[in-house]
Amino acid sequence: MYTGSLRALIDELGRLPGIGPKSAQRIAFYILKIPSEDARRLADSIVAVKDRTTLCEQCFNVAESGNLCDVCADDRRDAHVVCVVEDPRDIVAVERTQQFRGRYHVLHGALNPLEGIGPDQLRVRELLGRIDAEEITETILCTNPNLEGEATAMYLARLLTPLGIAVTRIASGLPVGGDLEYADELTLGRAIEGRRAVVP
Amino acid sequence: MSGPDRGARLAHLKLHDIRAFVEATLDVARDGTTLITGPNGSGKTTVLEAVAYLGTQRSFRTTSRDAMVRIGCERAIVRAELEREGRRVTVESELRVGGGARTLVNRRTVQARSELSRAVPTTVFSPDDLGLVQGPPARRRDLLDGALGIVDHKAGAALDALERVLRQRGALLRQAAGRLSAEVAATLDVWDERLVASGEEVSEARRALVADLEPRVAHAYAALAGHDRTACHRSGQKAVSMEYRPGWDGPLAAALVQRRTEDVRRATSTVGPQRDEVWCAITGRDARLHASQGEQRSLALALRLGIHALVTERSGAAPLLLLDDVFSELDRDRCRALVRHLPPGQALLTTTMALPEGVEVAAVVDVRAIGVRG
Ligand SMILES: [Zn+2]
Repeated sequence: MYTGSLRALIDELGRLPGIGPKSAQRIAFYILKIPSEDARRLADSIVAVKDRTTLCEQCFNVAESGNLCDVCADDRRDAHVVCVVEDPRDIVAVERTQQFRGRYHVLHGALNPLEGIGPDQLRVRELLGRIDAEEITETILCTNPNLEGEATAMYLARLLTPLGIAVTRIASGLPVGGDLEYADELTLGRAIEGRRAVVP
Repeated sequence: MSGPDRGARLAHLKLHDIRAFVEATLDVARDGTTLITGPNGSGKTTVLEAVAYLGTQRSFRTTSRDAMVRIGCERAIVRAELEREGRRVTVESELRVGGGARTLVNRRTVQARSELSRAVPTTVFSPDDLGLVQGPPARRRDLLDGALGIVDHKAGAALDALERVLRQRGALLRQAAGRLSAEVAATLDVWDERLVASGEEVSEARRALVADLEPRVAHAYAALAGHDRTACHRSGQKAVSMEYRPGWDGPLAAALVQRRTEDVRRATSTVGPQRDEVWCAITGRDARLHASQGEQRSLALALRLGIHALVTERSGAAPLLLLDDVFSELDRDRCRALVRHLPPGQALLTTTMALPEGVEVAAVVDVRAIGVRG
């Protein structure tokens, strides 16, 4: 029905997560109507995020190119306690609770054989490498409260406990099967506060 | 007759691109039986299949979900409007060819199968029910699990988890390609732990359900097979006995360790609740192997009636009865006995023969008038 650049824009938008064909069409027509400078700003920010951001070389959170992420760069944070999460978005969720003053480690996923994700596809080796190097004394396993998240937490607990550090898991009470990202900050805050030692 | 108050009543059903229907809509009698009429192949069973799909996410006719989507279409939709405790509930399933299906309850996506079975609880009687007795153990497990999801929320959640763990474990075993490396062993450890947690819970729940079910099935069987009851009395055995037999010996954790090498070699989980059997016997003899076809038919009906009675009592609400051409396979006596013992409540019924005496019909729907065919 549409041709050329409009068709291309609808196709590209339609590839984004959560955007169906109808939404893609609606957004494309919205962009068609906005002033050129607004459109340019949107395009520039998309290019900039790809050009200038990378993963933090310490914790694999999102960071500006060549730098540590904001959390790792902040030396007021407790370097000995590390909160292990599946996704950078989970860091935002934990930060919102204001219950945690340590650092993070982002696995970039959870064990999920159905999707071909095993320990090698996650940043597990890098986590083990940080324990001695950064004199970490406690890891809080903050993976999602679903089957894959629980399996990942247990897998890590079995690797980390023999290293002689405290290994804790956020308390249950989060909606089971849900994503950390969607937990409200009060509930997640309580879950972090009420964390318990994992018996692997 | 008015049924229990807590139940979900189906009010309205809408189909899009389901089997032969481009679009179809139908209203269902709030109480009692809605009879669906029409010639063979006109789509009577399709209506029942679509309703059952909402709660089970499966077709009771075929193993392939794709077969439910009209040929040439990419997706199909079933939408039902129900009434529960005075409130309107909309359940909508979308089926996509090549996998991918989702169901929304009041516009919220629901993934847990047990939650859907509670949203649209159904009891299906189908011409294929002889398979409940003659077929593989999976048929009897499915019967139990459907009821478990409705009557026991915790067991339902454990069933959902178990299904997912088994899929994850299966994927891992296939990726291992026959070699039990240290890394495979370490990951298997954590999946096995999840399997033990959900598996033991499912096993206990199934065992308890079978114990609860046995007297109800025996009761229904006695009512249906009353005319050839003498045989039971002669032998002095219980007419119907049921036994839950787990798919492993001893603690599940130990059984998994013991079979690990074998599981990796065969790339499949060889022990666990996915191998459970519900053993059924008539006067002490294995019903699958040693019963007559007449006895097997009565037992199949009794299993359906028993489950229906159990779910009705324990959930406080009768599931919607879906009776697909049940009478044509039965002899006169069994037919009469079934009509006499059909539970009250809402029902959808199809038949290919004249309706047996005693069936009260609240509404009649001619399937040729409900929509457009492709
Ligand atoms: Zn960092």
